[in-house]
Amino acid sequence: MTSTTEPILEVSGLVKHYPLTRGILFKKQVGTVKAVDGVDFTLGRGETLGIVGESGCGKSTLAKMLCNLEKPTAGSIRFKGEDITRLSGKALKAVRRNIQMVFQDPYTSLNPRMTVGDIIGEPYEIHPEAAPKGDRRRRVQELLDVVGLNPEYVNRYPHQFSGGQRQRIGIARGLALRPEVIVADEPVSALDVSVQAQVINLLDRLQAEFELSYLVIAHDLSIVRHISDRVGVMYLGRIVEIGRDAEIYDHPTHPYTQALLSAVPVPDPDAREHRERIILTGDVPSPTNIPSGCRFRTRCWKAQERCAREVPALAVPSRFRSTAGPAAHDSACHFAEEKQVVPAEEHGNGPG
Amino acid sequence: MLLEVRDLHVEFRTRDGIARAVNGVSYGVDAGQTLAVLGESGSGKSVTAQAVMGILDMPPGRITGGEILFRGQDLLKLKEEERRKVRGAGMAMIFQDALSALNPVLSVGDQLGEMFVVHRGMSKKDARARAVELMERVRIPAAAERVRDYPHQFSGGMRQRIMIAMALALEPALVIADEPTTALDVTVQAQIMDLLAELQREYAMGLILITHDLGVVADVADQIAVMYAGRIVEQAPVHDLYKAPAHPYTRGLLDSIPRLDHKGQELYAIKGLPPNLMDIPPGCAFNPRCPMARDVCRTDEPPLYEVSEERASACHFWRECLHDLDH
Repeated sequence: MTSTTEPILEVSGLVKHYPLTRGILFKKQVGTVKAVDGVDFTLGRGETLGIVGESGCGKSTLAKMLCNLEKPTAGSIRFKGEDITRLSGKALKAVRRNIQMVFQDPYTSLNPRMTVGDIIGEPYEIHPEAAPKGDRRRRVQELLDVVGLNPEYVNRYPHQFSGGQRQRIGIARGLALRPEVIVADEPVSALDVSVQAQVINLLDRLQAEFELSYLVIAHDLSIVRHISDRVGVMYLGRIVEIGRDAEIYDHPTHPYTQALLSAVPVPDPDAREHRERIILTGDVPSPTNIPSGCRFRTRCWKAQERCAREVPALAVPSRFRSTAGPAAHDSACHFAEEKQVVPAEEHGNGPG
Repeated sequence: MLLEVRDLHVEFRTRDGIARAVNGVSYGVDAGQTLAVLGESGSGKSVTAQAVMGILDMPPGRITGGEILFRGQDLLKLKEEERRKVRGAGMAMIFQDALSALNPVLSVGDQLGEMFVVHRGMSKKDARARAVELMERVRIPAAAERVRDYPHQFSGGMRQRIMIAMALALEPALVIADEPTTALDVTVQAQIMDLLAELQREYAMGLILITHDLGVVADVADQIAVMYAGRIVEQAPVHDLYKAPAHPYTRGLLDSIPRLDHKGQELYAIKGLPPNLMDIPPGCAFNPRCPMARDVCRTDEPPLYEVSEERASACHFWRECLHDLDH
């Protein structure tokens, strides 16, 4: 499944394996942690792609590779057609300006000994060409204003702010270099419920204002649906299903997606009686020992012999290929079938 | 009523002043019933539970008023020794973070067995056998072999099962679960909530579920108490509350859930921040963030008004809130 607009990021065959070693002096490799194990997707300009999955599925490693904080073992990441995994030195630095990250935990991702002004202005130290020295303070204050904080707070320290305000500071820092792509790893999960909506609205507004493309990683499926144009579902280092938000949420064809969606508690007590829950048994297998064939088969209620033998490709399943309906999107399952697990109109049914 | 908390007040003395964490909380739970206590961090939901369990850190904490009646007996009047007998056998608690709640240097079998050795005077061997039974009860695979393992050798979901096993060991009448699934993935969360619900039915326990997740509440609760700044601001049967909240804070929380028909639009957001407990605003604590606030809200603290036989709201304008369905 490709993006609907001109692609700004194209990821193909992306792999990150970490060696598992034993011994202190004489290190011997005893295994491999396959954190990301062959990921392909494109991100369109101005688009939001949501990535969902459980802990350990590799979504954060993926985010780090996109920001060049980790070097991929294999595969390519093309930013506007240029493979950034092969760049180094000046060229790499220039590309990095354009892809910035917003972190999950606003309590640990801001240096407690630096003022807010220094934190937001630090990117200018690394990329001095982005703003002349005399202009930086003004720019920092502008950024504070943009994210909804009082520009006079520039000399305060992180501990003087609440969690939601700190996340705004983190976002301002991400915006300082005017990037084109923002990678946000769980941007609201550490915040109080009543503050989450404020930050989501801010991200939404900034996207329109600065023509940003977002890759948002989150485990809260209702938030991902709200902000994403397309959604990818990850399991054990691979994307198992990807498509437009309505395709994934209302017409999921991969059993893992169906189980994941059915497990999300719906904030509507009336839905309790008439919804089907797929309870998966067991835990996610270890990424050091990925099952053969389909990696979901050990927890899948549909698994057959073929699933242990053949790795299912991420493509439109053959049975849906001739139809143009919403089920015709990429799904890596030999036995893909449509199943509605979220009550369509009652999803998130609040009052009034 | 199995447990009844009456007008509980808790404060913390800190270097910077007195934080009023719980300011007159009353709630009750019957056997076989689930009460969800919903609130954000700092709302006092966990502190209330810790006071009920008798595990509040004192000092800096101090219970300055109220009663905690368990089977009609005021726990606050008991000696620590008598209190200890109630804990474990009468009521038990499940914590959010199983890894830090379990002892890392004792095997899970020893920790589960300890309950039987201390409270029931069993021999170590018998206690070990009971520990295996309990682990099977919460569906830990290969329990007989894993009973010797240490907490770090289990996955997050399995550790939470061990916490549940430990809480249920002495078949308490009341279980308090403080954010039992917050640290877990959704598929594991579903397994754990299922298990809890099943065990609750089987033992007819009273369950107090402390959470900030409106989805989890809708799934399992019978009654809800919504807390804000150390007070209960709304109390209602679960269906009524989701259908028509009678407090603007509850309404704000429900409205800020992303909904399908609002996709692409701005989410409703409650403005401002939760209050500082050392400096709770006069009048209604929610007034600086409330879209309905008027002069009286800034001066008079609203009592818990009776909305119906089963419902209560601490808002001067609960009638407007309840009936104004399309604001």
